[in-house]
Amino acid sequence: MPQETNGALRETAHDIHRYIGDNLYFSRPDLEVKGEKFNSALLLTLLTGLRQGKALIIGEPGLGKTTSAEYVCSLLYRVPLGTIWGSEVSGHPEQTEEKIIGRPDLGRLNQGEEVVVWSHFVLLPTKIVDEINRLPETKQSMILDGVDRGNWEYLNDSVINREYCLFATANYQDGGTNTIIAPLIDRFDIMVESKHPGPNLAFHIGMTGANGSGLRNEELERGLHRVLNQRGSYEDRMEQAEELCNQFGEALTRGPGVRTLSRSDRETIRSQMDEIPFDVDANAFLRLVLSELSFCYHYGQRRFHEGCADGCHFTSYLCHTVRNCISNRFPKSARALSQALAWFLGEEQVGLEHLRAILPFTLAHRIQWKEETMARREKESRQDPLPIYMAKEAVREMHRRYIEQAPQLKSALAAACKITDGEALEPTQGDHPIYWEIRRDLGEEVLDR
Amino acid sequence: MKNPFQDFRSVQYRKREIPLDRIVREKEETLELLVQGYLQLVEEEVRDLVWLVEESKVEKAYNAAIKRIDGSQYDPDDIDEFCALLDSSDKLPYLISGPAGIYISALVNCAREDHIVLSPKDYERSFHFLGYKLPEGKTLVLQGDVGDFAGSGLFGGRLIVEGSAGNWCGAGMMKGEIRVANNTGQNTGEWMRGGEIHVDGTIQSVGTKFYGNTGYRVLFGGKIYQKGKLLVPRALVKE
Amino acid sequence: MTGRCPEDEKGTGVRKDWDALLREVWAKVREGHLFPELPQPEWSDGQERVALEIKDKKIALSRPFVERMSENMAEAEVMEGLLDHAVSHHLSCPWDFPTHMRLYGEAKKTLKEPRLAQLATDYFMDVVADTYVMRQRETPLPKLYEQLQRDRVDEAIHALYQRIWGVDLGIEGHETISRRLSRIPYLDRQRWTDSIRRFSKVLHSLLVEEEEEQDGADEDNPMGNHDLQQYSAQEVESGLQDLAREAASPAEFKEIVEDFEEEILEATEPNEEGMGLGPGRSLDADVLYYMKLAENYALPVCTMPTRKSGSLYPHHHAPWEVGMPYREIDPWTSFGKIMPGITQIWKRREGDIFGEEEDVPDCLIMIDSSGSMPNPKRHLSYAVLGAACAAEAYLRRDARVAVYNFSDAHVGGRRNLNYTDHRFDIYSSLCHYFGGGTRLQIEDIEALQRDDVPDIFLITDMQITNLAALIELFKERANRVTAVHIGDNDSVRTFRRSMAPRKNVSIFAVEDKQSIPAIVLGKVKEYLYS
Repeated sequence: MPQETNGALRETAHDIHRYIGDNLYFSRPDLEVKGEKFNSALLLTLLTGLRQGKALIIGEPGLGKTTSAEYVCSLLYRVPLGTIWGSEVSGHPEQTEEKIIGRPDLGRLNQGEEVVVWSHFVLLPTKIVDEINRLPETKQSMILDGVDRGNWEYLNDSVINREYCLFATANYQDGGTNTIIAPLIDRFDIMVESKHPGPNLAFHIGMTGANGSGLRNEELERGLHRVLNQRGSYEDRMEQAEELCNQFGEALTRGPGVRTLSRSDRETIRSQMDEIPFDVDANAFLRLVLSELSFCYHYGQRRFHEGCADGCHFTSYLCHTVRNCISNRFPKSARALSQALAWFLGEEQVGLEHLRAILPFTLAHRIQWKEETMARREKESRQDPLPIYMAKEAVREMHRRYIEQAPQLKSALAAACKITDGEALEPTQGDHPIYWEIRRDLGEEVLDR
Repeated sequence: MKNPFQDFRSVQYRKREIPLDRIVREKEETLELLVQGYLQLVEEEVRDLVWLVEESKVEKAYNAAIKRIDGSQYDPDDIDEFCALLDSSDKLPYLISGPAGIYISALVNCAREDHIVLSPKDYERSFHFLGYKLPEGKTLVLQGDVGDFAGSGLFGGRLIVEGSAGNWCGAGMMKGEIRVANNTGQNTGEWMRGGEIHVDGTIQSVGTKFYGNTGYRVLFGGKIYQKGKLLVPRALVKE
Repeated sequence: MTGRCPEDEKGTGVRKDWDALLREVWAKVREGHLFPELPQPEWSDGQERVALEIKDKKIALSRPFVERMSENMAEAEVMEGLLDHAVSHHLSCPWDFPTHMRLYGEAKKTLKEPRLAQLATDYFMDVVADTYVMRQRETPLPKLYEQLQRDRVDEAIHALYQRIWGVDLGIEGHETISRRLSRIPYLDRQRWTDSIRRFSKVLHSLLVEEEEEQDGADEDNPMGNHDLQQYSAQEVESGLQDLAREAASPAEFKEIVEDFEEEILEATEPNEEGMGLGPGRSLDADVLYYMKLAENYALPVCTMPTRKSGSLYPHHHAPWEVGMPYREIDPWTSFGKIMPGITQIWKRREGDIFGEEEDVPDCLIMIDSSGSMPNPKRHLSYAVLGAACAAEAYLRRDARVAVYNFSDAHVGGRRNLNYTDHRFDIYSSLCHYFGGGTRLQIEDIEALQRDDVPDIFLITDMQITNLAALIELFKERANRVTAVHIGDNDSVRTFRRSMAPRKNVSIFAVEDKQSIPAIVLGKVKEYLYS
């Protein structure tokens, strides 16, 4: 893809980011990457949208969790705001499969035909679940496969979304909320907090309000409503919907003056992102992180119900402070989002800094800390909710360990490559779990016997 | 099977080496040799589980130490570090003061350098037999207090103790000079056959070993000075 | 400070943008060190003699110093060298506050004098940090050192650098010292405690000479002082926790902490919560020791209790059978048909939701400090530690703690502290040691009773003269009582027999004093978390 196209698409993404930040979602920067400051909720929501990811947005009521997701979805996917509102699933205990996913066409059912009327939530590429933790756990299980793969089934019919992104919001736990079940929470790529913007911006919001009216278009919303309610095939309807969305995109360029992305643009962006390689340090660092979150010398790997053995040597590593084993979705999320960030910043490679910025948000909801670990940190002063803060501290710790031994680690990995290729070399011995895991991968028996 | 490390195939990582790496590495190798020598000596010596101070045993241990050290390249700093290693015995399986001191003496005696300084004041433990059989031309300076049998069997060398010495200082010395800045313990100069012992502090007692069946208190040559004044030889005293 | 000078000194007409240059150099240094988490450095109008300052991880370079050095070197090189040095302190040595304290502790054991130990520690940290940089990357640090003004110790250190880096810094002499120092494995972190001991030993005489020459005057280190300001308050606090845990005794902790008292206070800005200090108070190292040690025994996070919601929610479908009620039929999944095999009904369940936090009662700690108990200021007292753990747990749950520290209470050997959440006062009362006989004043305990029935923790060896009075008191009261006693004797057996019928009284015999904190925490957990 020519460099001009690269740059143009990136500029468009920046335009969207700027437009939301200046007009719709007022916030303070709380994340710095390569000298540039961003608001983590806005940036990561945008990147998740670009990447077809899934984001869990937490925060106090009324701080823009849902609206930020709506704005991002509207601008990235050219869907009018009204249509997005109509497709949102709200979390409450009375939700049923028929309300979330689809229902039989009753008229045709009486004629003996099974035809599914799919919900707008299933059909549209932009999916927002509001207050997901108010859904009872059985309902959360219902949407697992759809959330994970975009695969929705009802009766004997199914829809597989061509592209989609999912945003779920959750308030903090209070009376009347459930926990999000572990399989569901693991499917989210990131967890991020929508913070209070501070009194001055909050005053400004109160006085002027966010101007989301520019993202509405009643005519096109009616058109989309008609298309989505049709009984044709999913593919046909999506083609028609896309035409209407493109019209909306043109209206946005004419009206508020913000450029948007077509479906092919988004696909191009995704393939550009996929091509961005990891540099050697980022590669090695991610492996180090994975090792600390999965290693157990005594039991072979971390498991939720197996505590640390007495007198374990590895007490200075994260494996001693976590209860569960990190899932394989984590490296996928880390890769996808860090490539997205590198692309957004115009970098040719994913480096340590990109990874360090992204990792806490991909880890915060996936790590289950031991109680004593949380108890030690809960009273420390911080700017983030405890899970995100602890994830940031964990990444900071691991990064420091990486810096200390980067040359040795890279050397060990290079040696392991040669050994796997058949060379007669000795694998590097080191204290960090990564060295043990490398040796294990090379066929050595290294665990406690 | 996919090689999970292929991303690092082209990594030609060569660590930057600085002279410190070489210095430390060489030092570690030397110390390792010295430690191995010591451990082998001790294993032999304590086969009977008890190590008694007898002249023949001491001599045997010393010769065994010399044999182990033969050919090793080391310098006085290595000896000093070896002593520190012995002192923090969590790094060595066992420490027995007698053989340890004999081994150190062997190291000193076989070192290339003529002037060696050790610092017992930095150690928590006492080593005995330091300066054992120190040969002519060598000077050993011990900064701090030393254990028993310091300078025993001295063979022409110069032993300077910048502190106090324990019992049997200079026992059986043949020739040479011992200077003690503070005090000595009991039986100072026991079995002494030559050389001089200068003590600037107090001498708890002078050696009075009978030699043979003559019934006389005898020191076989050599002189003991206390605070600059000649203390022995005194006249033969009949028991 | 804008960082701009009006005219370039060389008159080339090019303005020197110091800020831009610093940004450029910093980006290079930062990348070379694999992106350490440090903020953008700044310029300061510091002294010409002192190159940099690090405060709470923020690096400030002295412009006068850089300007002076740039007479012989390019500014960018000077800045790069300084930044390499500063970053390396963060990345390698001392790395963090506990390591700094540990190194100092070892140096002090060797050198005895606090001032000498501090100097030795500073020099050691510089050697490690600089050698780390030399090993990691190309750096202009040696060139920088060549230009610096050196005193005798600096010369010896630079002679060392010549040996271990293989560079020429223009130093002659100091052969013996540099040779001995060159054998130390500076880059092996695991052996730093040994290394600094040896380092201090070798450098001792030179340090003493230097101190005498300076006659006690504090000379600034040209490469920046290693005071505690470089650490954040949180680092210092958590570092003190680690130090308390690793110290062999309260005395060892106290020795190190007291030497840095001013700096610790300055670095942490005394706050009631963290350090338990009030304004104008000095650091009480004994109290701080137990305070920090108790923080290591953390109880689980208080999770919200769950309860049933009281409402039934549709949970899952089940096949309808003839005879079952119609009202639970789900017409949608039944496709509008009422027929066995097709029709489905809803099965409803009560949901689990989060409940409300219950109030936590206050806590009264009764601790025996008679002669038979260890003096907490001399040796680690597990009794005090156990009491501290209980206090900490209740304070974390926003409850208040009262302390009754008793020995010969009837002749004044007692210390009452009414309910408070002031940490310093609580710990102060716990750590107080009378060392006399063992007799309570029941009136004192009565005075600390309240309507909301506080929990009571009693830690004693039970050899209480008026034990009968205490037994009577507990018989009448509904407080949850946990009695931890050390050893076994007639008094213990009497107490057990009398308290046997009381469900609210738990008694624990302790053989190994080290298990006192665990026992206390177990009971607290039971009281507060079930």
